[in-house]
Amino acid sequence: MWILIRDAITYASMLILLSTGLTLTYITTKVPNFAHGEIAVIGLFVAFTFLKIFGLNPYLAMPVAFVLGALVALVLYKLILRPLMKRGATLDHLMIATLGYDILIFAMLNIYADFLTETYKVKTRGFMPFRAYDFTFLGQPGVFIVAVAAVAILMVSLHLLLTRTRFGIAMRATIENPHLANVCGVNVELVYTVSWILAGGLASMAGVLLPFYFRGSPCLGFYLIVPVFTASIVGGFYSIYGAMLGGAIAGLSEYLITYAVASVVGSWFLSYRIAIPLIMLALTLLLAPEGLTGVNWRKVLRTLKLRLSGLWAQLGTLGMRR
Amino acid sequence: MMVSLPPLLLFIMDTITMIAIYLIATLSLNIEYGYTGIADFGKSAGVAVGAFVVGAIPGRILMMLLAIKGDYILDNTPIVSAINSVLGRDTLLAIGTLVLGLALAVAFGALFGYVVSYPVARLKGEYFAIFMLAISEAMRYIFNYYTPVVGGPYGVMVPDPLRFITAKYGGQLRLIITSIVITFISIGIFYYAERLARSPLGRTLRAIRDCDVAAEVLGKDVVSYRMKITVISSAMAALAGALYAFYTLYVAAIAYDRVTWTFWPWTILILGGMANNVGMVVGTVLFVVVTRLIIIFKRSLEPILPFDVVWLEYILFGLMLIIVLMFRPEGLLPEKPTKTIEFEKFEKARAARVAEGPEEEEASGGKTEGGG
Repeated sequence: MWILIRDAITYASMLILLSTGLTLTYITTKVPNFAHGEIAVIGLFVAFTFLKIFGLNPYLAMPVAFVLGALVALVLYKLILRPLMKRGATLDHLMIATLGYDILIFAMLNIYADFLTETYKVKTRGFMPFRAYDFTFLGQPGVFIVAVAAVAILMVSLHLLLTRTRFGIAMRATIENPHLANVCGVNVELVYTVSWILAGGLASMAGVLLPFYFRGSPCLGFYLIVPVFTASIVGGFYSIYGAMLGGAIAGLSEYLITYAVASVVGSWFLSYRIAIPLIMLALTLLLAPEGLTGVNWRKVLRTLKLRLSGLWAQLGTLGMRR
Repeated sequence: MMVSLPPLLLFIMDTITMIAIYLIATLSLNIEYGYTGIADFGKSAGVAVGAFVVGAIPGRILMMLLAIKGDYILDNTPIVSAINSVLGRDTLLAIGTLVLGLALAVAFGALFGYVVSYPVARLKGEYFAIFMLAISEAMRYIFNYYTPVVGGPYGVMVPDPLRFITAKYGGQLRLIITSIVITFISIGIFYYAERLARSPLGRTLRAIRDCDVAAEVLGKDVVSYRMKITVISSAMAALAGALYAFYTLYVAAIAYDRVTWTFWPWTILILGGMANNVGMVVGTVLFVVVTRLIIIFKRSLEPILPFDVVWLEYILFGLMLIIVLMFRPEGLLPEKPTKTIEFEKFEKARAARVAEGPEEEEASGGKTEGGG
């Protein structure tokens, strides 16, 4: 049981790292980045290279992965999205451009994978998870410790950045109203650039942890895009804290519901875990597209209270009549 | 009597067939995005529905009709070859299979479109794009594991509806005839798309795309138009998938990924010029010819490159898409203003109406304009 929960928490932590970045770029530049999943796979291959080619600890790849992912995201923003926006491209064109960039990264990763297979004779598609190479700490696998620590550090530092620093306040102002922030002397362009760097770096860092869990392959990004977007949307696509909440909820429920259903109907269900985030995404979009943090809970509570008290009063009158 | 044909002709016919199939998929995207402005990032799901229907249903029906025993998925190869040997003799049954398969694919595609049209009418552009992308990816993963429909990772063979040609004249002529049939269907779809674009419905769709609030104010039910277009476009995409399945005679879920059937149609659409059906033809021809050239030069490139040449194709088209978006976002053939009726003709028609009865003039004025 503990192993199950531990795995679920680790997976949810990876999703939090991914969905925070996705939401960050969406609330600043208003473009959903379809290349986000593939940027995570860059981190996966950096970790793979560290372990299998250089024989180093894959966790050492995290800073390198961060820099590489940040660079790739920066290129997407500075060389593709920014010029397109300046030319007045529509949102649809920006989205298809990120999808095109996703295909580019996918092709590059495949070329790299082919190159590794040719040169070093290692299996680069569907290789076994790195669990055997993981360290243990207090009887727990290292990936659990590292993932949870990374999320804790991310949450605290992001919160401090947004509330305690001048840049964070400028960032919030830009998210609220970019034109007004610009007039007040905030360097909006810098805020956008930083948010893309952070998003790419975080995604790629999460990617370093992925091969401890998944069978690594260049097409893993195709799978990841579904739970990551689900996490961001369930939490509320307009709030960074929502992304963290959504990542936790989507990750935990994908893992735990899949296992719960599988324990009832049989282990064949484990192959269909992608259905869980899809259903969550569909339900959120149909019932409350603004997400958990976007729903006005006070209003919901008030209407609920009113309904309940109305019902209570009706019951009371019914009782009196009796 | 076996017919043997030069390989160059076969290669050209194969290229034409791929152009015809991709043209249908792209026209479906053009109706949906180019004319109506619904950014559908899950075209591969619609195409996959058509292919899965052709993979799953006609073979099973024939199996029941011909009383062949066995499990359709587990004993797929012997069952389909038994079916094919019957189809080789029975021309009528074979053609019936083709028509039934295509009709079922279109029906299921429309049904799929109806199901996804519920969110399309209610979601903002980017949310719908995310939703469709998620559906198409999830569908691919699920059907890749779920063996009862199209055999999961192993795939299924499709009964060959033109087997009677193979039986009499050999496989090469069959290829040619298949190409011709698919090309004619594709031309029919092009004609339909062109008629739709020039009809009053086409103008309404463009009005919705350009400003849905204005269209709503003018009394157009935007939600219902969007839902209808999603249904039509999904049915067309399913037709493309069904034709592809009948052409390759094999269906595997993993083949209907978002690069092949979502990204390539989008690339063609952006390259050709959105809301221009002729542009779609130009874009599709360019795209398929370039991919074919890459295949031709594959042999000579392979010893030089340490990787599979197919990734070069991905990089080429990914870059091309971004460059076109940047420097010519309207595409090679930009959208043209609608051709209206000539002024003289219009005046003549109006004069005729006036001569018939002056009280009808007001009411018929709008109608005449709409016929262009």
